[in-house]
Amino acid sequence: MSAAPILQVDGLSKSFRGLRAISEVSFAIEAGSITSIIGPNGAGKSTLFNLITGYLAPTAGDVRFRDRRITGMATNRIAELGVARAFQIARPFRDLSVFENVRIGALFGKAGSRDVEATTRRGMELAAIAHLADQPANTLTVGQLRHLEVARAIATRADLLLADEPCAGLNPTETAAMIEVLRRIRASGVTIVLVEHDMPSVMEVSDRLLVLDAGAMIADGPPHEVAGDPRVIAAYLGSPDD
Amino acid sequence: MSLVVQTLADGLVLGGIYALAAVGFSLIFGVLHVINLSHGILVLIGAYLALVTSQALGVDPLLTIPAVMAVLFGAGYAYQRLLIQRAVDRSPLGSMLLTFGVALMLQNIMIWVFSPDMKSITPSYAFASFSVAGITFDAVRVSALAASLVLLLCLALLLKFSPLGRVIRATAQQTLAAQLCGVNVKHVYALTFAVSAAFAGAAGIVIGVILPFSPADEALWTMNAFVVVVLGGVGSPAGALLGGLLLGIVNTLTAQYVGPSFPNVTMFLLLVLLLLVRPNGLLGNAFSASR
Amino acid sequence: MKRSPALVPLLIVAAALVLALGPFVLPPFYVRVGQLMVYSAGLAVAWAILGGFAGYASFGHAAFIGVGAFAAGLVENQFSALAPGLLLALGLAVGGGACAVLSAAVAYPILRLRGTFFSIAMLGVCHVCAEVNNNVDFFQGSMGINFPPLAPASMDPADFFFWLYLAAGTIVMLIAWLIWRSRFGAGLLSIREDEDTARMLGVPTERYKRLAFVISAVLTGLLGVIYAHALGYITTDSVYRDDTNLNLIVFSLLGGMGTLFGPVIGAFLLVFITQVILGRLLDFHLFATGLLLVLLVLGAPGGVLGVVRGWRVRRRAATAPAE
Repeated sequence: MSAAPILQVDGLSKSFRGLRAISEVSFAIEAGSITSIIGPNGAGKSTLFNLITGYLAPTAGDVRFRDRRITGMATNRIAELGVARAFQIARPFRDLSVFENVRIGALFGKAGSRDVEATTRRGMELAAIAHLADQPANTLTVGQLRHLEVARAIATRADLLLADEPCAGLNPTETAAMIEVLRRIRASGVTIVLVEHDMPSVMEVSDRLLVLDAGAMIADGPPHEVAGDPRVIAAYLGSPDD
Repeated sequence: MSLVVQTLADGLVLGGIYALAAVGFSLIFGVLHVINLSHGILVLIGAYLALVTSQALGVDPLLTIPAVMAVLFGAGYAYQRLLIQRAVDRSPLGSMLLTFGVALMLQNIMIWVFSPDMKSITPSYAFASFSVAGITFDAVRVSALAASLVLLLCLALLLKFSPLGRVIRATAQQTLAAQLCGVNVKHVYALTFAVSAAFAGAAGIVIGVILPFSPADEALWTMNAFVVVVLGGVGSPAGALLGGLLLGIVNTLTAQYVGPSFPNVTMFLLLVLLLLVRPNGLLGNAFSASR
Repeated sequence: MKRSPALVPLLIVAAALVLALGPFVLPPFYVRVGQLMVYSAGLAVAWAILGGFAGYASFGHAAFIGVGAFAAGLVENQFSALAPGLLLALGLAVGGGACAVLSAAVAYPILRLRGTFFSIAMLGVCHVCAEVNNNVDFFQGSMGINFPPLAPASMDPADFFFWLYLAAGTIVMLIAWLIWRSRFGAGLLSIREDEDTARMLGVPTERYKRLAFVISAVLTGLLGVIYAHALGYITTDSVYRDDTNLNLIVFSLLGGMGTLFGPVIGAFLLVFITQVILGRLLDFHLFATGLLLVLLVLGAPGGVLGVVRGWRVRRRAATAPAE
């Protein structure tokens, strides 16, 4: 690894009333990559995202973005540095149109000058929802809402996109469309970290897999290597000697 | 020294009544998540009904409690089913404003029917008093406190042991799960409202016996209930009792030692401060949703 | 949104100029109604900067009317030798300043509360201010304060204050419009829609909420100062009014919550209904306001503008070819 990693997580832990949701997780994300974090339900994937984006404060450990410590920083400050997040359960601004939703991302997000109009258009085009621009967000389908979620995140001009299960609950056609969108976003220079359940899409799109189980990292490597790892298979299916 | 004790004793009597007057508000808030700004009106309806019936029939006002509670139970059920249920799924602000609108209408009707003047209910033992260890107790106040505590206990037992109480608690904790188990949530909401209205009415009678009242008081009793709930916690008679007693003591102490016109300042100051200091602990969901 | 940006302020100023002709053509009763309409509209818009744009519906904005009015009165009476115009300027500066200080101090803790908790806590703030104003002798709340007359001798005071309210209301409206179309305004809107998501997108939610709160409070306070001069003599009860606290919500609800012009429409309508239609039926006011509130919540939560928008959407759907 020549360049410094865009995101570095060191010994990150989070306890809820003594219950360890994340325990000493460390990893580094290389700029320009697509990394997927997988793991069974309750493994702590969403908590990990919440810790990175400042939504929760960690019990211990450090998060560094572009070599800058962001641990415990306010969520909006982290967004200003260039980290964006797409929620698993889409949270559109319901009373606003698709265009207005994405425009909020373009107006705010990463600090620095921008052409709001052009950034909004580009976000909608990258996420393939430009044709829905004038529709009110509360009329969109689940699949379209996911795209809106991604478009709004991208419009913040983020360098790092954390996408929480963008393919969950989508049919195969919609999943393929979403994978295509993620590829295009990466090609535009954005680093992506996914939490995803849908294994075929994970295997197809990711450069690297991180596996969480019960709050701890149990595997890290290229998709095909990790998928064959006996510990990963045990975590998903339960090991025979349990 | 004895002044302090007397003040505290007065505060406890007042507090018991505050608790009874707030318990219905607390229940509705805990189960329906509706801030019922017409609660004070329900309290006053109880007081006026007791005034009218006890004068017409020549009975002790406290004896009208069962009849008044029955009337308000029915009215509360209908009120919830016909009006509040329609706004409950919208925004909390919507349901709150709805109850406020109803409060204004009913207050206006009350002024037409009963005039805006102060009224009071005077039982036969109004001026009797006795003293224990140098502290004076009015017979009215003691009977009012006793009635409050008995009613609160009844409600606590009802919620804890009756099938209705179980369904109400289940609905409050897991509305969806209760629905999946075959609970008719609208019916339970309406029953909760009915119980709450009945206890508000009973509180009104007890209040009417010891304090003068007028249609304009409704806002005061609603705010009192709100403060009690913030002080003591949502949804339980025990919380209401704790909050009520605290508020009663704070009020009498302020009136005695700061100035007779200051209890309202203290009350609102307490309300604001508590909302700020303990929003999570006391009011579980103060921060949860933005609307 | 597709209108050219200069059109809206031109419309606002043009409407204000037309209204300014009122005193020349209307009988005195309607000038007084007009006064109340324009004053209410100004308050409604000031309230909506926080309550409508950012979704923090205050139930205690009368606090700022009261604090502004009393601060202005107390100071103006120390400088009563000044010319009326200077005195008003002084009063506005002091009243606005007092509201700025109070709101900035209250904003930090109280804006942590959300939804109805914020509303009720603001009611508490209003009552604390009112009671302190009433019971601490220094503020002369129970005794009352006189305000020196402002209107030139040649002019009917009713006309004078109508124009003064109109000027103030127009300025408030223009400020609201500037906010509405700015980045700040878009941020407030996103806070109303979903505060957590807004923060995730980089909206500095805390700072924006506080700023909106202070702006809204100061504008309300300035209108309160003018109101006090129009009354000429105020006590605690005449400025810290719970019906004001309520009406400010009803204006927005009636016209259209979270819109730019809704509060103005709502204020004009409600004042017209209560003063003109129900003018003689004073005993009926509470009932009518209550009924209106119930009907609005149940029947038209979007207010007048919501109903109009609904018609438009339906008509478009009817004329557009099926998909």
